[in-house]
Amino acid sequence: MRDVETRPKKGEWIIVFTILFASLPLILGFALLVISSFSRDMVTNLSLSSFRPTIENWINVFQGKLAITGGIRQNILKITLNTLVVALGVSGTVTLISTLAGYSLSRIKFKGRKLMMLLLLMLHAFPGVALIVGVYLLYRLTFPQEPSFVRLYSFFYVILARAALEIPMSVWLMKGFFDTIPWELEWSGIIDGASRIKVWRQIMLPLIKPGILAVALFGFLAGWQDLIYVRTFLIDQTLATFIEANIEAEYSHMPLIAAAGTLYLLPTIIFFLTAQQLLLQSYSGGIKG
Amino acid sequence: MKGEKLRNLSFFLSPMIIMVGLFYLIPLIFTIYISFTKMRNWNIERYLTEVVGFYNYQRLFHMFQHDPLMRTVLLTTIIFVGITLIINVFGGLLLALGTFFINERSSSAIRLLWLLPRMSPIAVYSLVWYYFFHGSEIGTLNSILMKLGVLSQPIPWGQIVPWGAWSVIIFVNGLVGVSFGMIVFTSALNQIPKELVIAARVDGASAWQISRKILVPMMKWHLLYVLTWQFLSLLTTYPHLFLLVQWDLVSRDYGTTLALYVYNTAFGRGEQDQGLAAAAAVLLSIIGIIGGLVTLKVLQFEKMIHEPRGDIE
Repeated sequence: MRDVETRPKKGEWIIVFTILFASLPLILGFALLVISSFSRDMVTNLSLSSFRPTIENWINVFQGKLAITGGIRQNILKITLNTLVVALGVSGTVTLISTLAGYSLSRIKFKGRKLMMLLLLMLHAFPGVALIVGVYLLYRLTFPQEPSFVRLYSFFYVILARAALEIPMSVWLMKGFFDTIPWELEWSGIIDGASRIKVWRQIMLPLIKPGILAVALFGFLAGWQDLIYVRTFLIDQTLATFIEANIEAEYSHMPLIAAAGTLYLLPTIIFFLTAQQLLLQSYSGGIKG
Repeated sequence: MKGEKLRNLSFFLSPMIIMVGLFYLIPLIFTIYISFTKMRNWNIERYLTEVVGFYNYQRLFHMFQHDPLMRTVLLTTIIFVGITLIINVFGGLLLALGTFFINERSSSAIRLLWLLPRMSPIAVYSLVWYYFFHGSEIGTLNSILMKLGVLSQPIPWGQIVPWGAWSVIIFVNGLVGVSFGMIVFTSALNQIPKELVIAARVDGASAWQISRKILVPMMKWHLLYVLTWQFLSLLTTYPHLFLLVQWDLVSRDYGTTLALYVYNTAFGRGEQDQGLAAAAAVLLSIIGIIGGLVTLKVLQFEKMIHEPRGDIE
């Protein structure tokens, strides 16, 4: 609770106004992107005359027509599907591994437990760019000879490699969630003769659902928004590499890219509208450790 | 009993250990190894076994001393990390303090808004600023200034070197990093006993006095923690910079930090030089490990002051 009783009301609006004023570029930037996607011309120049409402951009995006004229077509639905596959893969991998590891780091006493926690924190801070060079060499060395298998392998690899980046933080987050569950529940299971694995599956997992949901959502967003790993390892395009490749191309019509960008932003917005409390809570919980 | 414990542990921990081994440990060894080879253009067949000793490191240090481009990269890194760090820490502190003094609903909304840069896809977030700082009339900043009569024609902000380019990259990354400080400080503020704030209020202290005399001094360790951790993140971040440079929004020379230099040297367009990139990456990692150790020290101090507080609640 905040200092509700004694807080003076009159100064409040000054603070709110100041913060909102400082946030203005942020609000403006995102709003202009979304509005531009529904306009014939970009409205980023803030002049009302360039706003001519249309849903043509969205239709073109879904038809994969990159330019108003010209015949370049790209299957945006497939690109969106690719992005979704990566995001779901990362989310699933991260959730499974951190639910397993988080439990043992929270509940089982063993030698090296503390060291492992510290090491995970160090890994989280480790420069990603130093890893990616080695991760790419591993990719090349394990690359399949069979050509028909290559694209599938690149999906498989990018999912695992990207998930690995999220693991240290999500294990910490998951451990924090397990810490909040009373020991008594677990003891009752152990006294009844259940093994730790059984206790984990039948008693702990149902109780830890909010934690699983949080980690899964964060994993999803991490995979969904990734640019660097996808462009380095994945053969197919995702929305990130699609936007990257088409922004400077002469033929691309700018409001169209704005529409693709808005489409790409949708899951984040949905997440914001539906899971605010979860987001704010697990963020502070996760970072606090 | 002992065997069962081992079996349990391996069930719970082995997936994580395998992942860490595959995607942290082995790549790290590979990167160090590549830094001692002549690897170019990912020509593995030809160069993987061609060990050249410290040649890449010598080349790197020679470039630090004599190559003007490399010196620009270093200067950009220092300016970028330094100024963005200050913005991140103080911006986060101000946001946390500001939202502390207002009602719960507005403060949640504001915190969510400031999480947006971190949560939105990198490509979309960069796209937003691409339009904002665009060098033509469609650029939002240009059109605002032109409407106000400050400018008569659009300016390509990111191409003005050095400070135009630096300002853009600092601004774009600054907004992403603010949320980290905001979150840490907010959770720290919520742990400070309310009695202190209420007592000060009764004595007639203003929000500014409460912040300065009570709240900030109690968050000393959190400040240090955010400072070191954010320093590490900024030193190693590059995805946003990559896009801004790739899209020609900012000048390539003055928009490239050391981390982006490593990535572009290893994976960028044109001639690639993985040996050199790996050597620079190893250097970056050494700074990273030292920074990480410092952060851990700070974190432990933080825990030390946390524990007694548990008794009060």
